[in-house]
Amino acid sequence: MKAGMNRYRIAVLAGLGLICLLLSFMVTNLLAQLRELSTAASDNTQWSISQLDTELANLSVVLADGLSDPRFSPDDIQLRIDIMISRASIINSGSAAAIFSQDDRAADLIAPINDFVDRAISISDQPGPLTRADLEELRVLVQGVRPNVRETALLGVALGAANAEARRAEFARQLGRTGGMTIGLLLMMGGLLLLLDRMLLRAVKRDAELQTSSKLLASTVAASLDAIVTADETGKIIEFNAAAEDVFGWKRAEIVGQTMEQTFIPERMRDAHHNGMKRYLETDKPRVVGKGRVELTALRKTGEEFPVELNITSIKDRNGTKFIAYIRDISERKINEQKLIDARDRAERTDKAKSQFLAVMSHEMRTPLNGIMGVLDLLRTTKLSPKQDHYTKIASASSEILLEHVNEALDITRIETGTLQLTPQHFDLVALVRSVVDVLEPLAAEKRLSLALDLEDGVQMGFWGDSSRIRQILINLIGNAIKFTESGTVTLKITCIHGPATSSLKFAVTDTGAGIPAEDHERVFEDFIALAHGGGRHSRGDGLGLSISRKIARQLGGDIVLESEIGKGSTFTLNLSLERSAHLDEQPEQRLAAAPAPPCKVLIVEDNDINRRVLEDMLVGLGHEVEVAVNGAESLDKLAVKHFDIVFMDISMPVMDGIEATRELRREDGPNRHTHIVGLTAHGREEYREEAEQAGMDRFHTKPIRIDALQGIISDVTNAAHLPMTGMPNDVLKELADALGPEKLRGICDRFLSELQVLATDLRDGTMADDPTATAEAAHKAKGAAAMLGLTDLEDALSHLEKQARAEGRIDVDRYITQIQQSADSAKAMFDDALKNV
Amino acid sequence: MTPAFLTRLLFGAYALALSMTTSALGQDVIPLQVSTSATDAPVIELSLETLDSLDQITFSTTTIWTDGDVQFSGVSLKALLAYLDVDGQSLEMVALNDYAVTMPVADLEDVAPILATRMNGETMSVRDKGPYWVVFPYDSDPKYSTETNYARSIWQLNRLKVVD
Repeated sequence: MKAGMNRYRIAVLAGLGLICLLLSFMVTNLLAQLRELSTAASDNTQWSISQLDTELANLSVVLADGLSDPRFSPDDIQLRIDIMISRASIINSGSAAAIFSQDDRAADLIAPINDFVDRAISISDQPGPLTRADLEELRVLVQGVRPNVRETALLGVALGAANAEARRAEFARQLGRTGGMTIGLLLMMGGLLLLLDRMLLRAVKRDAELQTSSKLLASTVAASLDAIVTADETGKIIEFNAAAEDVFGWKRAEIVGQTMEQTFIPERMRDAHHNGMKRYLETDKPRVVGKGRVELTALRKTGEEFPVELNITSIKDRNGTKFIAYIRDISERKINEQKLIDARDRAERTDKAKSQFLAVMSHEMRTPLNGIMGVLDLLRTTKLSPKQDHYTKIASASSEILLEHVNEALDITRIETGTLQLTPQHFDLVALVRSVVDVLEPLAAEKRLSLALDLEDGVQMGFWGDSSRIRQILINLIGNAIKFTESGTVTLKITCIHGPATSSLKFAVTDTGAGIPAEDHERVFEDFIALAHGGGRHSRGDGLGLSISRKIARQLGGDIVLESEIGKGSTFTLNLSLERSAHLDEQPEQRLAAAPAPPCKVLIVEDNDINRRVLEDMLVGLGHEVEVAVNGAESLDKLAVKHFDIVFMDISMPVMDGIEATRELRREDGPNRHTHIVGLTAHGREEYREEAEQAGMDRFHTKPIRIDALQGIISDVTNAAHLPMTGMPNDVLKELADALGPEKLRGICDRFLSELQVLATDLRDGTMADDPTATAEAAHKAKGAAAMLGLTDLEDALSHLEKQARAEGRIDVDRYITQIQQSADSAKAMFDDALKNV
Repeated sequence: MTPAFLTRLLFGAYALALSMTTSALGQDVIPLQVSTSATDAPVIELSLETLDSLDQITFSTTTIWTDGDVQFSGVSLKALLAYLDVDGQSLEMVALNDYAVTMPVADLEDVAPILATRMNGETMSVRDKGPYWVVFPYDSDPKYSTETNYARSIWQLNRLKVVD
């Protein structure tokens, strides 16, 4: 555009320059021509020359008259002679001379004329009047010169004509040139006019476009939903659109000319605004201008502040900088945002309350369930009639279903609140599925269904994962299959593909049931969906089980998919990706095979009377020695004075809860500092697991606790307690044996054992009761030997004894005797074992 | 016939008489005869002395009849007519050889043409285009170099006639 304009301008200017040049050239030329034309000297010259002939003829006549008239007037003749002479001078000077100089003949013709003139002058200038003889002589002279004069005149005419012709020709040429130039000029002017026309058209078009765009802009500004305010660099408002009137409450007419500071910028922000604008104008570095949307506060005419979203741009022109602000009233939006936040918070609170409620309900239901199920278990240990036994079984099964529901509700809550925790561990897959099948076999048998297990070869190995959750899912899937199949087989088929790091496992549970229509395939996984089916008695999806299973499966990184057709049975497949594990210890089998536990000293800490009594009865029934406490504080009292093998500690109790009691027990030096503590809770096991473990609990069990589980725990604990002592050879002993030789070691061990025996006997007999220092010394001595022999438990116990003896000067003998005796026994067994092998 | 014209005539006659008696130079130069179209009007003769007594105009110019710059001096024709106080539409100018040319009085300007009495300071003889020559300052303005003005540049002039 700009380059085009410059081209045009150059063309126009060049054209104008050329025209000026041509014009000046033409004008000078024409002026010269005009002068030449107007000073038409030649014609007059010709005439002057011809006059010579005329005057000579006149003179001739006058002379003839004079000669014929005896009384002639000499003066008249003199005048004629003078006139004739004057004409002769004409052809010798001025333009006539110039004309004649062009022709060589002229000089020859004029010379006799001049001679004649000279003769005539000498004759007429003689003193006295002219005589007849003078006249005669003059007549002869005139006659002689006449042909010359005539020829001269004719030559003059011819030369003049030729000159005139040449001049005319030159003039014609000049005219032609002028005409050509004129045509050129006209063409050029035409071209310029065309150019001008084009430029004019363009200008008109551009003007129209500009007008259109400015109209468009004006209407855009006017119709804009955002307030648009334009201000100059002093902050004075220049423009204020309709939306701005609505937003700020100012009329355009009253605000234009005022500054933004005076009007809609809140007072507290005026300084900042002022400085910001000054800084921008000085440094050209914007903080708000051109930085996109900014949220600020503005002031309405009525004086209230409101939030705005602001976008400022600036333009610079000849008149300085102008700021254009696009302002949106976002008070509505802010209010809505607040409402949304409130609504969300409310919803979250409600949701939390719901989860809380479910958790509490689960807890509240679990506590009485613990009582019911415990009592039922106890009832079944008594002698019952077949009918009673049947009833008990029904009650037991029902309470188990109820427990399942409670657990499911809790699982759903955990999944929804994201608190479902996974506890991965090494496990043997085959053992796991076999135990699941074992559990469900009776259920299948009851319905005369066969339960088949189909294992691929590759699955017989250890894996790393949350085995209890996998077990939960498998039980749910197989349980459902059994529930909804009337006849035929339920098969669990496990296949596996081993990847480089992980293995992809498929647990397919196939039944020969009625099948599920395709449109319900997804619905069975929804919460609380039970599908009406056929006779209406059985329905699939039964509450929460499948929904929970799928959610857990997904949390484990897998999924459950369904393939089913009406009449062709269903296959639910659990797909899981698990890490392989090298560990495959035989512990579970060993645990199962454990012999009935030896009688133990057990402390039950539980605030609920029923539950406490049930647990007490169960343990007593299993042959254990049981004491009880109703809260943590009471339990600490009992634990301070007597050693127990196992403590069952409820987590939630009044006065002092189980967590705190455990923490206290583990902190204090006491006979039960290392006693195995089993935490019991009516909450889900996730809720307190971490806290309980940190406090020092050894294991954790969710209520209700059943006789089987109780047996398992106790045998576990007693085995574990003895295993380190009896099972494994002591590494320190081995080293000692290597260093000292078996004989020497045996001597040391025997000496140590006898010393220990003496200490135990002294303590029991009370011979040292009055002498704590001696006791402390003895304990100290034995402690050093125990440490040397790697008997850390004994070392600990002796260390306690020593400290107590020194600090308090009084010894709770009972607390130590058993421990020392026991340690001594196991140490002896260990020594025997170790030395036997050496 | 105006009283002023009569006065001029009387004055002219007186001047003529004076010139004939007192000036030897005056006898060489042919006097200028002025007449009007009126039938009873006398022809008056203006001597060189009379003409010299009027306001003189002098200029230099080239002419197509002479060589180089020539200085002319004499009386403006317009001023002359005003001096004579004669009315008329045109001025008829006649030379010694009876060559005549007529010029509208309206064409007379204050300074051109003049009735030249001297060329290069000398009175002009008949042999040298005398006694009087009507000339224009041709070089001062191209408008004087026209065919008409050349025709009006009459030499050897000795008679003027103012006609209606």
